[in-house]
Amino acid sequence: MHTLSRSLRRGIALMASRPIYLFMMVVVPVATAFFFLNLMNEGLPLKVPVAMVDTDHSALSRKMGRSLDASPLTDITMELEDYHQAVNKVRSGEIFGFFYIPSGFQEDALSGRTPTLSFYSNMSIFVPGTLAYKGFKTIAVTTSSGIVQTTLAGVGLGDQATQSLVMPLAMDYHLLGNPCSNYNIYLSQSFLAAMMALVAMVMTVFSIGYEIKWSTSPAWLDTAGGSMAVALAGKLLPQTFLLSGVGVAIQAVMFCWLGFPLNCPPLTMIMAMILLVTASQAFGVIVMEALPNLRLGLITVSLVGILSFSIAGFSFPVDKMYGGIAIFSFIMPIRYYFLIYIDQALNGIPLYYSRFYFIALLIFLLLPLIGLKRLRGKCLHPVYVP
Amino acid sequence: MKWFKSLIRVWRRETYLVFTDIGVLLFFFALPLGYPLIYTLIYNPETIENCPVVVIDNSRTAESRELARAVDATQALKVVGYAADKEEARRAWMEKKCYSVLEIPADYARRLGRGEQAVVPYYQDMSLMFRYRQALLALTGIQMHEVTSITASRVANEAGILSTVVSGLPVDTHAGIMGDPTQGFASFIIPGIVVLILQQSMLLGITMLAGTSRDRRRRSGLPVDPLQVQAGPLATLFGKSLCYLMIYIPMSYYALSVVPHIFSLPHIGSFTDYMPFVFAMLLATSFLGQTLQIIVREREAAMVLVVYTSVIFLFLSGLTWPRYAFNSFWMAISDLVPATWGVEGFIRINGNAATIADVSRYYWSIWALTGVYFITALIINIATRPGKASSASLQEKPLERNA
Repeated sequence: MHTLSRSLRRGIALMASRPIYLFMMVVVPVATAFFFLNLMNEGLPLKVPVAMVDTDHSALSRKMGRSLDASPLTDITMELEDYHQAVNKVRSGEIFGFFYIPSGFQEDALSGRTPTLSFYSNMSIFVPGTLAYKGFKTIAVTTSSGIVQTTLAGVGLGDQATQSLVMPLAMDYHLLGNPCSNYNIYLSQSFLAAMMALVAMVMTVFSIGYEIKWSTSPAWLDTAGGSMAVALAGKLLPQTFLLSGVGVAIQAVMFCWLGFPLNCPPLTMIMAMILLVTASQAFGVIVMEALPNLRLGLITVSLVGILSFSIAGFSFPVDKMYGGIAIFSFIMPIRYYFLIYIDQALNGIPLYYSRFYFIALLIFLLLPLIGLKRLRGKCLHPVYVP
Repeated sequence: MKWFKSLIRVWRRETYLVFTDIGVLLFFFALPLGYPLIYTLIYNPETIENCPVVVIDNSRTAESRELARAVDATQALKVVGYAADKEEARRAWMEKKCYSVLEIPADYARRLGRGEQAVVPYYQDMSLMFRYRQALLALTGIQMHEVTSITASRVANEAGILSTVVSGLPVDTHAGIMGDPTQGFASFIIPGIVVLILQQSMLLGITMLAGTSRDRRRRSGLPVDPLQVQAGPLATLFGKSLCYLMIYIPMSYYALSVVPHIFSLPHIGSFTDYMPFVFAMLLATSFLGQTLQIIVREREAAMVLVVYTSVIFLFLSGLTWPRYAFNSFWMAISDLVPATWGVEGFIRINGNAATIADVSRYYWSIWALTGVYFITALIINIATRPGKASSASLQEKPLERNA
């Protein structure tokens, strides 16, 4: 017990001695959280800049232009005269799509010659491209039904009848947990947690590797009475405490202040965050046991940490990735935190369904035991390889 | 001529330092060679096919079965089973057997038959936006198809002679998809990511070289790094940049041209359009790296500091959250990142066949940024020269070992 408290004191003193620790463990996560939450504050990048190419100049085409401009999805930033001009504007990145009304449109439409409305959306950037597509499609459909309605009303059918005649089938979308498809809710939760995991891994490797690099590791072990486990606890527990505190604070900002969906008891997510931090630290320790060298360790956890943003399946589903790639998602603690978040906070399903994810995170905590002896040997005889 | 000779000396020494340092080699070669392949392999399945859907068919009519069949027939969705009620469907969703539920109401066929509007609830799991996007596009297609055919038959049946006036919808629509015609995920994200990889790996390498140089000086006890060539500030700056560009121009050809070829990603831009563009970005990055040297005190600190910026830079480039929706503060920050302009320009050249004239405003922005970082790098180079200004940096004590 005495050695543990001595190790803890040494760990805290070290953490306070160099600014990089506090910088990486407090400033970086808090600044990143501010960045994400502030950047995507609006939830959806509405009012996509688009162009209107109106070669018809009729009452109908002007009306469509007005609806397109009034739509929350699109914003007509320019009116152009021909197709080529519009394509060039897309190429230069000023607009994300354009709506093309052919000449003679109104006349053809009203006389039943079925003219074609075209709209082009640039999918080089997904989100604005999709929003523009959605906006264009809505306008095209409403225009088309409007014409039918007018025609039918003209021959004496009532409003009610025409309404159902032109829109016989409507889909009623229920988006579970995130009804407005808010990108802030969707991206910030996973990316900020992954950032916490990255910082926890990097700082674990950094603080262990630093002892080995400057040959202070024998003194470090000595403080712990020669026990590797006590030495690690003394070094890492203060970091666990700090990182979990920062992680939970970021959660609090998202769940309490910004009102992101939290359909489970708050304690579940707090536990998940603490487990994520400790599991990531354990991952860092495992890496140092395998490669007891500051530089190699840092390279490994950096590569894993950065790839985890993609492989953990925040944007592309793991079950659709190639098997050889998808398998790596299982060795990343963040993957389990993400799944817990989805099940518990977003979807609010019973804890029972997430049991394996919690167990997986707990298993991470046990894995460093395997290589403790090897790490102890390396710490007793440190060799710095630049 | 003398200046030119010292430039060549700096270039030769920097090249020597790069090729004798396994860590830097890793960043300068392994990263830009390997990462584009890894990332493309992650996203290469491109689209989500046959995402499982459970149907609650309360109508049990030919019409409702027809709708379920239409959903099953789409590329994006697949009906994996029928549930008796909402509770059963919910259980399937909780067990991850499906990601969406189609609930056909009991009066579906009746309403269609009566000429009323039928509303079909659709429940979508929102854990991944991409699944929702695919389902939405597929269902919109079905809806449009059904609406057209139902309207046509209704008008023919009910309005009798009106069928001559209105047959189906009076207007055809044509949706043109530009840039990423298959709307695949790899095709969308890889062109942007490879540009970012070029910038980040170069920054990592340059800052690691600087950190190593400081470590060497500290270990040698000399006022300057013993391996550093004594040359004027301009010669030093250009000599080093020459070395980095010599490595990165072939690397960028590989990342921007060979990788899209290997995976058949959209790649319709012209070499002569994107290479000048990327050249400017690489030059700006090399000066940015030589500016950032100042904050790197030792070899390993480089990685810790640069790695975490990768995700931030990805978002600042506007690839995920478009730049027009930035507030002016983040817009200004993102303007300062070379990769922002690199990504904006390259995805348009690569996916939309823009010429360098089309993206000229990005092109000139990147050259302006090159100028800015050239000046900052020059200032830092002059300020940290021994003897001239900084006695402080000479007396910098070795890092405190440990308390």
